Amino acid sequence: MLFNSLDFAIFLPIVFVLYWFTVNHNLRLQNLLIVAASYVFYGWWDWRFLGLILFSSLIDFAVGLGLSKQENPTKRKILLWTSIIVNLGFLGFFKYYNFFLDNFSAAFSLFGMELRAYSLNIILPVGISFYTFQTLSYSIDVYKRKLQPTKDFIAFSAFVSFFPQLVAGPIERATNLLPQFFNKRIFDYDKAVDGMRQILWGLFKKMVIADNCAVFANEIFNHSSDHSGSTLVLGAFFFTFQIYGDFSGYSDIAIGTSRLFGFDLMRNFNFPYFSRDIAEFWRRWHISLSTWFRDYLYIPLGGSQGSTWIKVRNTFIIFTVSGFWHGANWTFIFWGVLNAIYFLPLLLRNRNRANLETVAAGKILPNVKELTSMLATFSLTMIAWIFFRSDNLTHAFQYLGTIFSASLFSVQTLGNFTQAQNILLLIGIFVLVEWQGRNHQYAIQNFRDILFKPLRWSLYALIIFLIGMFMPSVESPFIYFQF
Amino acid sequence: MRKFISDILFFAVFAAGFYLALLMLWGAYVPARFKPNLSYIRGAYGHSYSRFAEAKSFGKVDVLILGSSHAYRGIDTRIFTEHGYRAFNLGSSSQTPIQTQMLLERYLELFNPKTVIYEVYPKTFALDGVESALDLVSNDKNDWNSLKMALSIHNIKVYNTLIYATVYDLLGLNSGFKEKNTKGTDTYVSGGYVEKELSFFQPVTFEAKEITFKNNQLQAFTEFVTLLKQKDIPLLLVFAPIPKVNYNSYTNMSFFDAQMNKFGGYINFNEVISLNDSLHFYDGHHLNQHGVEHFNILLLEHLNYQ
Repeated sequence: MLFNSLDFAIFLPIVFVLYWFTVNHNLRLQNLLIVAASYVFYGWWDWRFLGLILFSSLIDFAVGLGLSKQENPTKRKILLWTSIIVNLGFLGFFKYYNFFLDNFSAAFSLFGMELRAYSLNIILPVGISFYTFQTLSYSIDVYKRKLQPTKDFIAFSAFVSFFPQLVAGPIERATNLLPQFFNKRIFDYDKAVDGMRQILWGLFKKMVIADNCAVFANEIFNHSSDHSGSTLVLGAFFFTFQIYGDFSGYSDIAIGTSRLFGFDLMRNFNFPYFSRDIAEFWRRWHISLSTWFRDYLYIPLGGSQGSTWIKVRNTFIIFTVSGFWHGANWTFIFWGVLNAIYFLPLLLRNRNRANLETVAAGKILPNVKELTSMLATFSLTMIAWIFFRSDNLTHAFQYLGTIFSASLFSVQTLGNFTQAQNILLLIGIFVLVEWQGRNHQYAIQNFRDILFKPLRWSLYALIIFLIGMFMPSVESPFIYFQF
Repeated sequence: MRKFISDILFFAVFAAGFYLALLMLWGAYVPARFKPNLSYIRGAYGHSYSRFAEAKSFGKVDVLILGSSHAYRGIDTRIFTEHGYRAFNLGSSSQTPIQTQMLLERYLELFNPKTVIYEVYPKTFALDGVESALDLVSNDKNDWNSLKMALSIHNIKVYNTLIYATVYDLLGLNSGFKEKNTKGTDTYVSGGYVEKELSFFQPVTFEAKEITFKNNQLQAFTEFVTLLKQKDIPLLLVFAPIPKVNYNSYTNMSFFDAQMNKFGGYINFNEVISLNDSLHFYDGHHLNQHGVEHFNILLLEHLNYQ
């Protein structure tokens, strides 16, 4: 079920009413309702893969119980590895089987050997990368004794399958989300209103910014050889806003929906395009994944402790794995490596934590240095997104080759440029709104401080109107569903 | 919780009013390029406004014709009159079965036809129906059937345009509108037909294409065929002639013919009549007046026979 669909607009109020009016006196029933609603939500796409979520939940639940009773270090390790192998096994099979097969075949053929292997027509279960990482975090935290294992399977299933963040995150840590399923839920008016506001802003980002940018990004990337360098820059620019609007919009809707049910999810985006360097960008982009890798991969590898060589090695490992997490394609791996290369100078000069505060804090406008740093970081990010969006590495390098050619200075070659100009105007307004709200959890959170209710409501209604006037006619799925 | 629910309800009412007011202002004063989801064009291409205006007072007919532009540009009601049939052509641009169903529900009793001719063009079964819906919403009076059609198409542009057109009509802002009989090379002829100034098609190559059916279009088609059966009104399904270069580009025409034959009397005139792509058509889709005359005489022969 898509957040931006009529189905969800009907589904959400039904679950909300049942949750707060029929099962509100019984915590277990509330959790059971969440599990049932989450399975309906997921099954709306393809019910056959519900078994996968259930199996994953059962394995990690059992591993947790096993770890609670086991003191023998070897047996504890075996239990942990069972969880890791099962979860990553599912992920590996559904997401990476064909990729490895094709690359092994290609590698063998380089040496003149023929590898007889059969690629499979595998459907990638939506959200598998998200919920497998979420359940893994539980097993690892229980193994490390950071978390007491739960004996309540309903609550644990609700944690694994919680519908607002099931298919595209934020990837929750068990230490944050799971205990919330054991707390009595009391309806909080301010929290619910804030949730609704965040949902509204998420829908605007997705339906107006991302989906309109997608029209032009797809046109330009899919026919990149027909366009001039200047048009390809425009294509990369549109994709840069498409992916931000799409993914952060999803996160806003997920977080807002959770708040309606009394849950607090972790923040996933913090105005990443206002970053002054790449390190800051990665502290602000897809925070739940970055911190997951930091906690469960980077730090166990030694993190930033040790020699320069160890730091560089760990940085490259974490960025490469992060790229590979996104998809079974060399483009994602290269995107990860490129970000590691961007990061390297900051790491070597110990400047990777230079920009921790919000840019231009307490000021209306940034100064020249801040503006230049932001534009430079944005440009580097935009170049990296070209690899992320391209079909393959050849496509990406051809795309970049055309940009860095004489045709960069030629006129743009986009057919419907007037419409593209409208979208650029909308992006301009969007950036201004995001800028004024950059000190908050999301851009329009500070609208709550407008005491004059008619003005506040008019602004919300205006956002609804802009969605109605500018959303593309066809619902489009969220990009991160494929990961 | 009570405050939250009441706030949500009050906001819903407020937002609906705000949306409506802003939609009317936006539609009236903002340039077209900033209105991607609103398309209210009264008197658009195809003379729909004149056709529907005339339909309301035309009275009973022997033959009611429906379908896409192949119908209102290909079936000349004057020729039907010459042969003793009082006919009206309710065809409209890109009319799909969803719109045909709506028009039948709106006009069937008014026309009380003895026979209905429905021009079936394969592509209309695969369209979303948005283009035709916008045409009808902008150029005909809207009622519950319009809302039913909009829900079936489920497109934001159709919803916005329907709201805008309904309020526009309610406020009487259209009362002074008159459509010219002749626009460019098109002339509206009483009875719903549009005659094109004689011109000839320079054949071009058409890419191979496959006929497909959208579920909601097929469902609407099935429903109005059933409606006519229930009312005991004979229905003739007609695939009007199109240039051979276009016709031959369909890779599964026998599938389409088989589908149509399931629904009763069906004639694929492309297999019956031999026309010349240059002499009898003015573009890759439509007959010129010479072609119309040839086709209509043959159609009347079949009608007489039936």
